Amino acid sequence: MIIKSIRWRLQIWLAFLLVCVLSGFGVTVYQLQRVNQFKQIDEELERRVGALDRAVRGGPPPDFGRGRPPFDGRPGEPAFDDEGNRLPPPLHGGREFFPPGPGPEMKLRPREIRLSPEVSALFEDTGSFYFAIWSRDRMLLKSSTNAPVNVSLPVRVAGANLTHTRMRDALREAFHYTELGDCVLAGRDITGDLNAMRRFAFWLLGAGGTVLVFGLGGGWWLTSRAIQPVEEMSVAASRISAGNLSERIAGADTDNELGRLAGVLNSTFARLEAAFAQQRQFTADASHELRTPLAVIISEAQTTLARERSSAEYRETVETCLDAAQQMRRLTESLLELARFDASQEYIQREHLDVSETTRACVERIRPLAHQRGIQIHCDLAPVRICGDTDRLGQVITNLLTNAIHYNKPKGEIRVGTRGENGAAIVTVADTGQGIAPEDLPHIFERFYRADKSRSRAAGRSGLGLAISKAIVDAHGGTIEVTSQPGAGTTFTVRLRVDQSR
Amino acid sequence: MRILVVEDEPRLLRNLAKALREEGYAVDTAEAGDDGLYKAQNYSYDAIVLDVMLPRLDGWEVLERLRKQKSTPVLMLTARDAHKDRVRGLDTGADDYLVKPFDLAELLARLRALIRRSAGQPRPNIELGNVVIDLRARTVNRAGQPVTLTAREYAILEFLALHRGEVVTRTVLYEHLFDESDDTLSNLVDVHVFSIRKKLGHELIATRRGQGYCIE
Repeated sequence: MIIKSIRWRLQIWLAFLLVCVLSGFGVTVYQLQRVNQFKQIDEELERRVGALDRAVRGGPPPDFGRGRPPFDGRPGEPAFDDEGNRLPPPLHGGREFFPPGPGPEMKLRPREIRLSPEVSALFEDTGSFYFAIWSRDRMLLKSSTNAPVNVSLPVRVAGANLTHTRMRDALREAFHYTELGDCVLAGRDITGDLNAMRRFAFWLLGAGGTVLVFGLGGGWWLTSRAIQPVEEMSVAASRISAGNLSERIAGADTDNELGRLAGVLNSTFARLEAAFAQQRQFTADASHELRTPLAVIISEAQTTLARERSSAEYRETVETCLDAAQQMRRLTESLLELARFDASQEYIQREHLDVSETTRACVERIRPLAHQRGIQIHCDLAPVRICGDTDRLGQVITNLLTNAIHYNKPKGEIRVGTRGENGAAIVTVADTGQGIAPEDLPHIFERFYRADKSRSRAAGRSGLGLAISKAIVDAHGGTIEVTSQPGAGTTFTVRLRVDQSR
Repeated sequence: MRILVVEDEPRLLRNLAKALREEGYAVDTAEAGDDGLYKAQNYSYDAIVLDVMLPRLDGWEVLERLRKQKSTPVLMLTARDAHKDRVRGLDTGADDYLVKPFDLAELLARLRALIRRSAGQPRPNIELGNVVIDLRARTVNRAGQPVTLTAREYAILEFLALHRGEVVTRTVLYEHLFDESDDTLSNLVDVHVFSIRKKLGHELIATRRGQGYCIE
């Protein structure tokens, strides 16, 4: 459960990243420090090895491989070292091809090595440094007093006469074989350094741990801040889904990712609310439309039954009741029909038909009614074949024609046309009535919407005719549109797909 | 008692008018809101039955505009029974509210109560000495004996009794007892009053010369 929470997942990832970064950093720092420390120790050891080397060879030796330094005696005079031995004459910066050191007469007796005070000072003053010198024949010539007893002659590495280092327990030692095969060694007990390094490692661990704790705390704070609006949104959304559809999520006006999400959710809720409101309105309208004829029937019957009536009065009452009942029947049929379309049941038949024939049949059926009102119907019917439901389309056309008659001016005209155009079958019904106000135009296909409330009820119309027409045309995959000029007339245009199979 | 019925369903309007006239009311009718408002503002009615869904001017609007001038009792009639609608109706100034389809007897009873209350008469019986008027049954008893009055006679007696202590002019009586379709002459009122006095005693209705009638 905790793994599913975004906050916890973020926290785990943050911890992982922090641990990686901190441990990488700590290890690197520790290694650098260690390398530096050893380098420093080694440098000191090498300096001492160099000094010993010079001491063993007797006299201040040149830097190895660089030749001798300039001789400070007079030119031409033989040089002597500290012990009065004669030094070979200097070459001009060239490499020494003969070994310096004691002459052949000194090989037989153990060499006495004396260290200059400066060299001794290098070891004795510091205390922790020690040295050992071996001859070519692996004899320990001299060692410092603080040298460990077990100091051993290091193994000569073949080839180069470079200074090497080795580690023995907590002892760091540097050694060097001279050209003659003598070995000088300088060493030091580095326990203290190792301890310091261990302390440093602990310090690094502690610092890393502290950073980790602060990092995780900061991460928790950040994720809390980031998650909070999401949680607020989910609370608001659950309140809305619990039925309070008019509520909105706050923060939709902020221009960030969450603000945009809130905006999208709000617009969805708004559409939902509108759909619900429309549904509620429809139900209220339907109940209103049913209650009115019901009120007529009940009050008519009660009035009539209140006293004795003549048979003519009874007859009138029954007629009124029948009239109201018929109105209710028409309304319930219309509602049922709409409900069927809403349930999107395959409610229309598909057959090949000629729209112009369907239209002509409707016009002929309606002509007596038009005639009665002195309205002329003009037809311009070109044959167009489509695939659809004759009865349903006839219902649409009849409804449009009935509207055109009802809302026409006296002695007006109706123009009915069918034609094919760009792969569409077009049916137009135009009247010369008073037109529809622009503010009513977008609503006239809505259920129970009445542009002119004063006339419709008296004409016994339910307010569902255009809604049903639209549902039928929609089910055919077509469109129905209206254009109107107030005072001049209204034109309904139905577009249907032309039958391509023939 | 004169009543205005504003209702856009013609069959219902016709029926209501008929039922109310049979109850002895004078009834005016209107099919549209503006028409109804005009009549309500220009005639004095004892009660108005007002539908909510009306062409041109809906019932709320009619009520709101009427309330700026008059406090005629209004019974709203509507096919909407949402709680919100009832509250709105009563808050706008309607005195009562009835949902379609309604029971005719209930409508009549509520109208009677409205008229009685607006006349400051909470009880359904009015006693004038030994004469008792039963507003519910529309009957009159004198000393325990029922007296038969014509519808017009009863209407005049009821109106005067509901406005007890006030001097009611002939014009007012005429206005409240005859509807717009009536073209009877106003002096018929005197004929009816004479007939009431004959049945219930001369002293019941006093004549204020030059002003009108009064029940003390």
